[in-house]
Amino acid sequence: MTPSARLRRHPLARVVAALDPDPRRVLLAVLTGTLALGSAVALLSTSAWLISRAAQHPPVLHLQVAIVATRAFGISRGVLRYAERLESHDVALRGVARIREQLYRRLADADPVVVAGLRRGDLLARVGADVDTLADLVVRTLLPFAVALTTATASAVLLAVLLPGAGLVTGAGLAVAALVAPPLAGAAARRAEREAASARAELSAEALALLDGVGELTVAGAVRGRLDRLAGLDTELARRLDHAARPAAAAAALSTAATGLAVVGALALGVRALEAGALDPVLLAVVTLTPLAAAEAVTALPAAATGLVRARAAAERVLDLLDAAPGAAPAPGPGPVLVADPVLDPVLVASGLDCGWPGREPALTGFDLVLPPGRRVAVVGASGGGKTTLLLTLAGLIPPAGGTLALAPVDSPGPAPSLADLDPATARRTVSFTAEDAHVFTTTVRENLRVARPGCPDEDLVDALARAGLGHWPQALPSGLDTMLGSGGAGLSGGERRRLLLARSLLVGAGILLLDEPGEHLDPATADALVHDVLSGHPDGNAAGAGTGPAVVVVTHRLAPLGAADEVILIGNGRVLARGTHEWLLRHSLTYRDAWQAERGAEGATPDEFGERSGG
Amino acid sequence: MVRPLDPRLLRHARATRGYVVLSAVLGALTAALVVVQALLLAQVIAEAAADGEPLPALAAPLAGLVAVVLGRTAVAWAAERFGHRAATATVAQLRAAVLEKVAALGPAATDGDRGPALATLTTRGLDALEGYLVRYLPQLLLAATVTPGVLVVVLRHDTIAAVTIAVTLPLVPLFMVLVGLSTQQAADRRLRTMQRLGGQVLDLVAGLPTLRALGREHAQAVRVREAGDAYRRVTMLTLRRAFLSALVLESLTTLSVALVAVGIGLRLVYGDLDLETGLTVLILAPEVYLPLKMVGVHYHASVDGLAAAAGAFAVLETPVPRRGTTPCPDLLTCSVALVAVGVVQPGRDRATPHDLDVTIAPGRIVALTGRSGAGKSTAVQVLLGLRAPDRGRVTVTPTADGAPAADGAPAPLDLADIDAPSWFAQLAWVPQRPILIPGTVAENLRLARPGAGDADLAAASSATGFDAVLRELPDGLATRIGSGGHGLSAGQRQRLALARALLSPASLVILDEPTAHLDTVTEQVVLNTVRRLRSEGRAVLLVAHRRALVALADDVVVVRAGEPACSGAPA
Repeated sequence: MTPSARLRRHPLARVVAALDPDPRRVLLAVLTGTLALGSAVALLSTSAWLISRAAQHPPVLHLQVAIVATRAFGISRGVLRYAERLESHDVALRGVARIREQLYRRLADADPVVVAGLRRGDLLARVGADVDTLADLVVRTLLPFAVALTTATASAVLLAVLLPGAGLVTGAGLAVAALVAPPLAGAAARRAEREAASARAELSAEALALLDGVGELTVAGAVRGRLDRLAGLDTELARRLDHAARPAAAAAALSTAATGLAVVGALALGVRALEAGALDPVLLAVVTLTPLAAAEAVTALPAAATGLVRARAAAERVLDLLDAAPGAAPAPGPGPVLVADPVLDPVLVASGLDCGWPGREPALTGFDLVLPPGRRVAVVGASGGGKTTLLLTLAGLIPPAGGTLALAPVDSPGPAPSLADLDPATARRTVSFTAEDAHVFTTTVRENLRVARPGCPDEDLVDALARAGLGHWPQALPSGLDTMLGSGGAGLSGGERRRLLLARSLLVGAGILLLDEPGEHLDPATADALVHDVLSGHPDGNAAGAGTGPAVVVVTHRLAPLGAADEVILIGNGRVLARGTHEWLLRHSLTYRDAWQAERGAEGATPDEFGERSGG
Repeated sequence: MVRPLDPRLLRHARATRGYVVLSAVLGALTAALVVVQALLLAQVIAEAAADGEPLPALAAPLAGLVAVVLGRTAVAWAAERFGHRAATATVAQLRAAVLEKVAALGPAATDGDRGPALATLTTRGLDALEGYLVRYLPQLLLAATVTPGVLVVVLRHDTIAAVTIAVTLPLVPLFMVLVGLSTQQAADRRLRTMQRLGGQVLDLVAGLPTLRALGREHAQAVRVREAGDAYRRVTMLTLRRAFLSALVLESLTTLSVALVAVGIGLRLVYGDLDLETGLTVLILAPEVYLPLKMVGVHYHASVDGLAAAAGAFAVLETPVPRRGTTPCPDLLTCSVALVAVGVVQPGRDRATPHDLDVTIAPGRIVALTGRSGAGKSTAVQVLLGLRAPDRGRVTVTPTADGAPAADGAPAPLDLADIDAPSWFAQLAWVPQRPILIPGTVAENLRLARPGAGDADLAAASSATGFDAVLRELPDGLATRIGSGGHGLSAGQRQRLALARALLSPASLVILDEPTAHLDTVTEQVVLNTVRRLRSEGRAVLLVAHRRALVALADDVVVVRAGEPACSGAPA
């Protein structure tokens, strides 16, 4: 690989390419920045000339230009710096918005398996804080470096016009400060990050254990020991950080020495040139004070370089997402069936279905199901048994690990299309999946519902809410459908939240509803009422239930409301253990009856009952 | 308004004291070197340019200049080197102090949101102090040393320039405050809009799985762009105002230098001043303003650091409840009782538990039961002495025969008066979520009894079914668990905690749902062990849901929550 190719593949280079800054704006930012720093240098240079010339007692008129220039530079510095700041932040913010949009599009297209592998917190940290770090990189590191280099070069070149030697010395001093010291500081930051990472992790684990278990450790008399161990770890961390900080101190020293010696060198060369008659005496002060002022351009660079280290890790995490594999290409073969509209009255037929995340052992094997319109099925079983994986597979969100999954329009005699053959948007409107942790967006109730059906009129929204058991809501809420729902749906009770999500999935108008734990995190009575409503057809506004309305598959861990289901499927050990109606299972399945009794027992353990026991 | 140097920092983190002294010394050194450098530069330039002195004649001041540069180099090195060291030490001291304080305050200190806040503070939060200590504080001390020091030197050279500087100098902080105040309101208002717009993008990303399940993920990409654009526009509006204070700062300092320079130039023309003086003042003028400017630049770094420190001080200044001093009597001959205990947790409107009476006597098993949220675990914490009850008290009553005392027997002791270590030494407790400390399984088992022998470990393990877990672990007792180590399931963890509790010869054993995650076979092992504890004359308190556990108890007490305390208050 050529060096330039390697550079292009460097994460920071790639991420800058993704920020895709407008060259004209970057140029403007660097230009205003250079002029701002240049004003500071020019202020001291013209002042030096002004004072040296004034000492020769010329007519004041001869100084007018220098006086005006000095004042102008005194004013322009602040104004130009203000302009540069605004311009550089604009560049950074535009880049950040672009990256976020790209990230969103990538994630929307990505293989669901990849996205599901990321925890929500991790994902938000990458799209949020990590991308912000990249904006910081632009404003605090990349642009300052560009400005410093152009200012330093310009100062050295202009000085070289007056006195080549002085220009050379100044250039050398600034180059050391701008090109040698910052990498040293960067190395220190990298070393600190690397060497301290494990010590920090241990320290955090120890601190968290102490905070979590403060009571238990107190009772066990073990607090002192843990605190001593923490102190030991902190000492170790300090030792490593101290060791890593050495190059940073060297960088600070180097930068000071290089710029300082450049001043002394320029002065000495100036004095010699004066002796030789090669320099006007008035210019000696200019030759000396210009490098003194130019040092300002480079002194902040070591600190800026540490930003590169932080940004690199963030860049890698962001690129990770940008590189996320796109969703599976259409399977080879006949290609997708072109269906303009959602399949009406679909019958979902699964036979010998194996469900599992790609690349892992199937969580559930040999699942059969025929789901005609209006049928209501409950899936129960121990947690971790693959119930959610089953729903995701039935929804077509993850491919079947084995077996077949077909979608037959009820009156179509031809070969049934598989869900995977459908265009994804059509598939979603045919089979609607509502996750246990489905998101409530930070917007109005109306927009939260319209996510499912854009432009849907209010009457339909109110109707859907009513079908989900929130008929009183539009009147009860402070601003009706315009009520803002807070971040993550704060301000909603658990039951309202679940019913809102239910209303949203009803609005999709899909023939098949797949609901994952609609009663999770609700108290038992509310959860049972909700699941009962779903199963008995209430959400469809149709008390008759069976045979009409959408087909429903509900995953739940509460058994009490399952009397309303047409069929209950008990899952365990990666397969179907039993299936039948609630009553049939109670009579015939020992596991089901045990689970049901345990559920009743937890609540049935009323004070009175215990009272009898303890008496007996 | 944040205080620039919080005296509490010096009080709580001793490492800061030495560092402040060192920074002050380095600041004074810097001031001296800046002045000497200016004097030497002016001298060499003036003598060479005006008097035509040759290079050899100027060798001494030039050598002096090199020495000054080396001196400044050394100061820069020391400031960076010791700055980081002091920052690390300060963070470590504050972290240790906070954790020690939390240990003294007990579980009440980590209630509700306070637990996660403390976790953030003690892991990453305090690191923000580094920016404050390494960048801001030294500049603050430079502003206190270099600025007045250099100004005095300027005054001795040229009164008029010194007066110019002295007049403009106070304008810097004055204008900073004025601009800051006028932009603050607008910034606060915009900040909320910015947070909302910034949040919108993250909200869409967070909801992506949902949008996907609804088949709406592509339609929302446009909204991501719109929200991003809107965010940029509002942010730029805010920045346009926020940068005004920097504009004022920069303009004031550079314009003042320009005014000083022009003034010197004009007085030189009229012969009121000589070149050397003029150059000295010109070189020194920017140095007067520089520290003030840098204080402004690093102000924001300081805010985060001081906010973290303030969080630490808030914990450190929480008063610790009074400690008892009476040695705890032998609990094998005492009954322990909760008397009319009520606790109102912060943020709750009713007592959980409410008016609870429980008596636990040696050789008996008591079960606490009741709905979740009624305050069973809180009642246990009160009994343990880890939390002071808001109402009622915990008593320890010595009895002759282990039965509750009749009239005339020794008076009950209040737990609040009893010396804590002697009390804890007689207790064993398995909470609902027992902790794992980072380390090996053996270290975890020996938590309460570091001296326990291998035979003791084996006995405790077989009494709780933990021996089965040990056989599955890759390295048995030497398996590393906790952060970064081998994971344990809830059931395995519970058995470890039970074995850990059984290692201690405690007279009072408190088990919170000890069989919640166990299968029926292991449950039987644990039930037998609990029976054995009773037969050994120890007292056992169970928090129990399962019937098998409740059936084991000699007494069953139902924990109830109180009625909502405030009624009629606006919601």
